[in-house]
Amino acid sequence: MIGANHQIGHLLRNPGKLPPPTQTQETEVLIVGGGITGLSARRWLWQHGMKDVLLVEMDQRPGGNSSSGQNAVSAYPWGAHYLPIPDLRNRELLDFLTECKAITGFGPSGLPNYNEYFLCHDPEERLFINGHWQAGLVPEVGVPEDDKQQIGRFFKLIDELKQSKGSDGKDAFAIPLDQSSADEAFRKWDSVSFEDFLNGQHFTSPYLRWYVEYGCKDDYGSTLKNTSAWAGLHYFAARKGVAANAEPNAVLTWPEGNTFLVRQLEGQAQSPIRSNMLTFSVQENERGVQALCYDSAKKETIAIQARKVLLATPQFVTQNLLKNRVSTDFQYAPWLVANLTVSGLPQGRGLPLCWDNVIYGSSSVGYVTATHQHLNVDEPQKVITVYWPLVQEPPATARRKAYETSYETWVQQLLAELETAHPGVTPSIHNVDCWIWGHGMIVPTPGFIWGKNCSKAAEPVNGKLFFAHSDLSGISIFEEAFYQGIRAAKEIIGQNRSA
Amino acid sequence: MSDGVNRHRHLLLLLSVFVIATCGLIYELVAGTLASYLLGDSVTQFSTIIGVYLFSMGIGSWLSKYLDGNLLKWFIRIEILVGIVGGCSAPLLFALFEYAASFRLILYTLVSLTGMLVGLEIPLLMRILENQLTFKDLVSRVFTFDYIGALLASLIFPLVLVPYLGLIRTALFFGLMNIGVAGFLLHQFRETKPYRPSLITAIALSSLALLSGFVYAEQIMTYTENLTFQDKVIYSKSTSYQRIVLTASNREFRLFLNGNLQFSSADEYRYHEALVHPALQAIPNANRVLVLGGGDGLAVREILKYKSIQSVTLVDLDPGMTNLFRENELLLKLNNRSLLSPKVQIINTDAYNFIRQDTTQYDLIVVDFPDPSNYSIGKLYSLSFYQELNRLLRPGGLAVVQSTSPYIARQSFWCIQHTIAAAGFQTIPYHAYIPSFGEWGYVLLSRNSHWRGNGPLPSGLRFVTTKTIHDMLNFPPDMAEVPTEVNKLNNQVLVHYFEDDWMPYAH
Repeated sequence: MIGANHQIGHLLRNPGKLPPPTQTQETEVLIVGGGITGLSARRWLWQHGMKDVLLVEMDQRPGGNSSSGQNAVSAYPWGAHYLPIPDLRNRELLDFLTECKAITGFGPSGLPNYNEYFLCHDPEERLFINGHWQAGLVPEVGVPEDDKQQIGRFFKLIDELKQSKGSDGKDAFAIPLDQSSADEAFRKWDSVSFEDFLNGQHFTSPYLRWYVEYGCKDDYGSTLKNTSAWAGLHYFAARKGVAANAEPNAVLTWPEGNTFLVRQLEGQAQSPIRSNMLTFSVQENERGVQALCYDSAKKETIAIQARKVLLATPQFVTQNLLKNRVSTDFQYAPWLVANLTVSGLPQGRGLPLCWDNVIYGSSSVGYVTATHQHLNVDEPQKVITVYWPLVQEPPATARRKAYETSYETWVQQLLAELETAHPGVTPSIHNVDCWIWGHGMIVPTPGFIWGKNCSKAAEPVNGKLFFAHSDLSGISIFEEAFYQGIRAAKEIIGQNRSA
Repeated sequence: MSDGVNRHRHLLLLLSVFVIATCGLIYELVAGTLASYLLGDSVTQFSTIIGVYLFSMGIGSWLSKYLDGNLLKWFIRIEILVGIVGGCSAPLLFALFEYAASFRLILYTLVSLTGMLVGLEIPLLMRILENQLTFKDLVSRVFTFDYIGALLASLIFPLVLVPYLGLIRTALFFGLMNIGVAGFLLHQFRETKPYRPSLITAIALSSLALLSGFVYAEQIMTYTENLTFQDKVIYSKSTSYQRIVLTASNREFRLFLNGNLQFSSADEYRYHEALVHPALQAIPNANRVLVLGGGDGLAVREILKYKSIQSVTLVDLDPGMTNLFRENELLLKLNNRSLLSPKVQIINTDAYNFIRQDTTQYDLIVVDFPDPSNYSIGKLYSLSFYQELNRLLRPGGLAVVQSTSPYIARQSFWCIQHTIAAAGFQTIPYHAYIPSFGEWGYVLLSRNSHWRGNGPLPSGLRFVTTKTIHDMLNFPPDMAEVPTEVNKLNNQVLVHYFEDDWMPYAH
């Protein structure tokens, strides 16, 4: 059982037990947190001339939700593992992807050409339904006519919403989410649950509702009931990426998942990064901000005096560091992620192994083949990554139970899940590693994204403390984290100029 | 001892002569047949096997004079030994065929050993019986039974044993017969009492071994000689990557990988000449060649016919495959020992990863992969793959890609051609008729259009001439170009075309 670094993280609850600082270090800007947001801010600051920046990361390596592992067969993700090709208007992300060589050039019509090694190889997705592996995740095999009509009506609505613009001329749903229209015609859906929305539109088909909830679980770790309708629709209607050499909405993926993007973000700046550093105190003073960081490798504390501090941390951590910022609005879904090394996946009729493999009606959101992007002709073994949002109970309860559940119990549940679609698979499984994400991702509960607390939590304090994290967007995706980091970096630079 | 008891004794012993004579000839026939299956050229194999066997029997007969003391005990011991050695000969030879470098040594060692033991039998028996019969009776009866046994063996071997029992079980069965004779004599002759326990143990153990071999052999047979193969399976091995099966008939032998025919020895020259010569004849002084796939060394055999070639790098995933074609006598004869040439470097790795890392520039690249029947092989026919080839090809160099059948898999063939063209190459599609495959297609690719079809060809080719090359360029209407998409990693259209194309031919 490989745990997320929650044991070190939980030291935050009793900061008084940590040793006093033995030395002091100075820096212009301190970034706390080496997830995508912190790394994105660091990169932006470096590229805009701000070099005296120190990033501290609690874990052994930066990456946050985009961590990964490696065994003899393959690298594999422990969290975020793909990026949909972005909207052409998301220039900052396109520039980054060009620097990564994920975009190799632009075609005559201005559409980007993506690196075909990174575009998800065919076959991409399949769904195990009514005893058959069908292509694509929208239920088709054995689905009654009436349900098919409802599914058709839902996608017609989504197509309309993709094209829709508000009275302010902005897209109804956009990524970054901040670019979405403020028009009440759309925003009003944030205050209702997705479940109520579907009821109101007479979307009653269990097949459709399964598919829509699968989307909520997959991106938000939440159910129809506790997802805002606006967020639920955003999942389907906000992705508008196009390419010269791929289908619209194609995705980029790597065996190690988004760790690929983490390393690229790291490599595009040279300011220092210190790992194993748990920040447990942040105090404003006359010279800026002093942060106390506990080095869990050397078992010592150092004080870092910075002019400005960016807290690129999730709000449940930020609240521990700054006691006056209490908000109960931020809810985080716990997840189980498991990597399994398998020498075969016996199956019945239908499509062979794909990148994304989902079992209809199951409680996990399926598994992704980590070895899918390999170019080897025949691999005797594969690594698959099972993603399992723990949505059956309220997050706090599910989180506590997840930590209490033994490795053996998790393995039993994983095997039971896989056996439904791959009867007899158990003897072919050679290794199972499990990872519990206690606070896996922010849940966009009704009223959260466009509520006051979310935007308030992003406001800088006294020109010294800055805040950025995907949870301030309200949805936990790479694009938002990347955007939040740049947003905060711009705030830091803008204030520098005026000072 | 009364006359009646004596008659009973020598009748029993003469009956043993009959059985052991049958067994002896059977072992000889099994070895001869096996050798001609596995090594080909049945006249040579039978002739040398029979020669060695008879000579070894002579050695055995000569050695018999050194055996003294309790002759009956010696005889029973030798029966058990013959049973074990002869009985295990066929399964052992089948199992050891993959260690083909020393296969002949193992074969002839086994044949000599069996021959010597069988050679000991008759002289010993005659000595046991010498005081019980007159010399003329002794000689006449022993040899009568001996030759009747031989006749029986020679008749039942081709008519009953090979068709119904197969070689492995035939050998094991007659091994059991030999041991049975030992047991029978032990039981019938009272004077064997003092040494019965140890010999009975030996008999029990060896019969058990042969019997379990008999059962196990049956499973092996149903496993390898399943209905997939119309001919006799003479070699099969599962490597980590694939199942290699070699079958033989009187006319030819065939290599199958995972049940798919790779070549038939009868017409593979057509396939490989057509693969190599249209490209190489157009490159004067070509010296550096890369072969991707083609672990059988047959394309390399054709390449080495050009004196200018200095190095051939062969990349094949499966060491099981390249080792077989470096060690097995039969296959070495077929590929003209090409994989043992000092000019040839064999790299057992994945072709795609190899070309992404390689920085050498080649005059010729031969791409000889299996057909794109699944998604992982489909990647080796993708736009990205051909773009990597572009980097490895010298400006004046050529590459050739085996491109499946333009007749049966017409969309697939043209999809490959379009994908290569989309990678920025000039392409020259062509095809040849290979009787065991049908109409087969290739795509030549170059970075400029300086290809010519009338360059110098090595002597001794059986299929490719300047005229053949010219004819191969013509695509009749039933194989003519059809529009297709370009095969990319993120659409894998080729695998879909290939499935479509072969659908009408699937069972």
